[in-house]
Amino acid sequence: MNEPVDVLIIGAGASGAAFAWSMADTRMRILCLDQGDWMNPSDYPSTRRDWELRAESDFSPDPNVRRRPQDYPINDAASPISILNFNGVGGGTILYAAHFPRLHPSDFKARSLDGVADDWPISYRTLEPFYAVNDHHMGVAGLAGDPAYPPHQPPLPPVPLGRVGETMARGFNRLDWHWWPSDIAIATREHEGRAACLNLGPCKTGCAQGAKGSVDITYWPVAMRAGVKLKTHCRVREILVDDDDRATGVIYYDGEGREQLQRAEVVVLACNGIGTPRLLLNSTSARFPDGLANRSGLVGKNLMLHPWTSVRGVFDEQLDSHLGPQAVCILSQQFYESDPSRGFVRGYNLQVTRGFGPVTTARSGLASGAIPWGRDHHDAFARHFGRTIGVGVCCEDLPEECNTVTLDPALTDSDGIPAPRITYRLGENTARMIQHGVARATEALQAAGAREILENPVPMRATGWHQLGTARMGTDPERSVVNEWGRSHDVKNLFIVDGSVFVTSGGVNPTPTIQALALYVADSMKQRLANLFD
Amino acid sequence: MHSPIAPAAPDPSLTSVQRETLNALLNMIVPRTADGRMPGAAEMPELVRHLAEAFPALRELLDTLDCDARARYSAAFAALDAARRVSLLEEVRARNPKALDQLALETVTGYYQQDRVLEGLGLEARPPYPKGYQVEPGDLSLLNPVIARGTIYRDIS
Repeated sequence: MNEPVDVLIIGAGASGAAFAWSMADTRMRILCLDQGDWMNPSDYPSTRRDWELRAESDFSPDPNVRRRPQDYPINDAASPISILNFNGVGGGTILYAAHFPRLHPSDFKARSLDGVADDWPISYRTLEPFYAVNDHHMGVAGLAGDPAYPPHQPPLPPVPLGRVGETMARGFNRLDWHWWPSDIAIATREHEGRAACLNLGPCKTGCAQGAKGSVDITYWPVAMRAGVKLKTHCRVREILVDDDDRATGVIYYDGEGREQLQRAEVVVLACNGIGTPRLLLNSTSARFPDGLANRSGLVGKNLMLHPWTSVRGVFDEQLDSHLGPQAVCILSQQFYESDPSRGFVRGYNLQVTRGFGPVTTARSGLASGAIPWGRDHHDAFARHFGRTIGVGVCCEDLPEECNTVTLDPALTDSDGIPAPRITYRLGENTARMIQHGVARATEALQAAGAREILENPVPMRATGWHQLGTARMGTDPERSVVNEWGRSHDVKNLFIVDGSVFVTSGGVNPTPTIQALALYVADSMKQRLANLFD
Repeated sequence: MHSPIAPAAPDPSLTSVQRETLNALLNMIVPRTADGRMPGAAEMPELVRHLAEAFPALRELLDTLDCDARARYSAAFAALDAARRVSLLEEVRARNPKALDQLALETVTGYYQQDRVLEGLGLEARPPYPKGYQVEPGDLSLLNPVIARGTIYRDIS
């Protein structure tokens, strides 16, 4: 029998870590369960010569490819975008690019401003102080003064533009378009015990230097020093509930596959936009036959994924584009705010990304035909390697109830727990938006001097990092799963702090907003401790 | 100085004919550059051994090529001139495009991890960590026109 705890957090990724850190000062008994393990930075691919290939095997962002013991399979056959994640202490932050743009004030008012989707029950101003706290803990590099945002001051200087950033900056300037060094959670100088970035490059297979802000090295060490407990290799099967609609704890499988019971006064879900609805839908009972906290019927619905593609430009001059952090060095938000004359509402941003290493350059060039084998191979390789820039198109996705996470009737994880099944298609607005973005990305690359344009599929399949909206926040229990401070409408001691609660997706990478929300929910709980369940 | 083209070290899992066919094929996929700066794919024993292990259909592909060469030209594939090799390869590719494309992919994958290749590209043959790389900071004065245009977000306060 495990000792009961006051607060049980499920998931040790971006949101669970931030939430745990914030709650630590309550001195309550706080426990986090994660199905994965701690990472060892000395195992990260950048420490080895085959670093480029590991992104396609044990460090793949796709759990169906990676297939580590702690991963669960995801049936995403009915989606043009595959689901990416990482399971372990740090969650998706282990493999993310650490691109860290905030949502904009208008993102919280899509219904009021643009007549689509719904407004959030909170605003940019609500989250602003939590964004700032989070920027400090995650170690965000950037440059104050971005005219695409309300004023804010990133704590660290921006990542280097390199020749890639400078080249595209000149292109954007020729078009009179906005661009700015992007906020990015990389320590560009020593920060809170973390070493400065060395420009290793492959941030998306883990940072051996420890410069990238993954929560296993940011929030968790501090939270654990403050008394929070974290148990690994614990895969939660279901959340238990009593006759008064109160969560009483969870059933999980430990590292040896033994069934365990963990009682808790408060249960907090931090399992991302796929894992959270999966767990709720797996937690059925007489009181909740359609899944826990699902009397609205909206658990698992309104999945949003940020459809993404990339246009690549090949330049004559050597840009050393294979060097530098993989994430965005600059981005343009010229087309972020709504302009219905474009044929769609809401918007997207253009993210300037670095080129590939030699192996990936050769492999992708061979696959696309841009770098043939045979007599012309070396010349073609030389024309592309170090001379290629990517401009990604990251689109806002609107919530649609037909885009869902459900339980697969046959597929299970290694403990026999039903796996998630994704049913997703691009909405018409998003489809028009991404085509507009492809044309503008091409225009920007050509303005910067690209002599050859290489397009990718629209959308690109392996881009489903951002899983949002599947347990949405709102004030109406019939139209939302949690209230305006993250508490389930149906189960008053159950909270959700991950990307599931997003009402709309915005058009930027969501991690800073997910973490700001987690900090905000924790703060809201701390302010209501005396009447938390009223 | 670059070393002259050397045949791949014998791989015990391949017959001598298969080895000769493979060498000929690899030097068609990634040939040595005229100036010798970049080696041919067949010059690297590690790569040849890797292919023999990692590419299950390799032996069948090599046997097919050699068999077709003997049937068509009464000579081993490795003994043919370039034009005849290309002609045969196109035929084999038309019948089974996956096998040749996969071999080419595996070949470049291994090739661009070899020290001699990386050095030929002017790169250091090492993993990124712990030395890392230098990246130019860039000219932030390029932002001046962006700043001059002013705020572009919707201020809804």
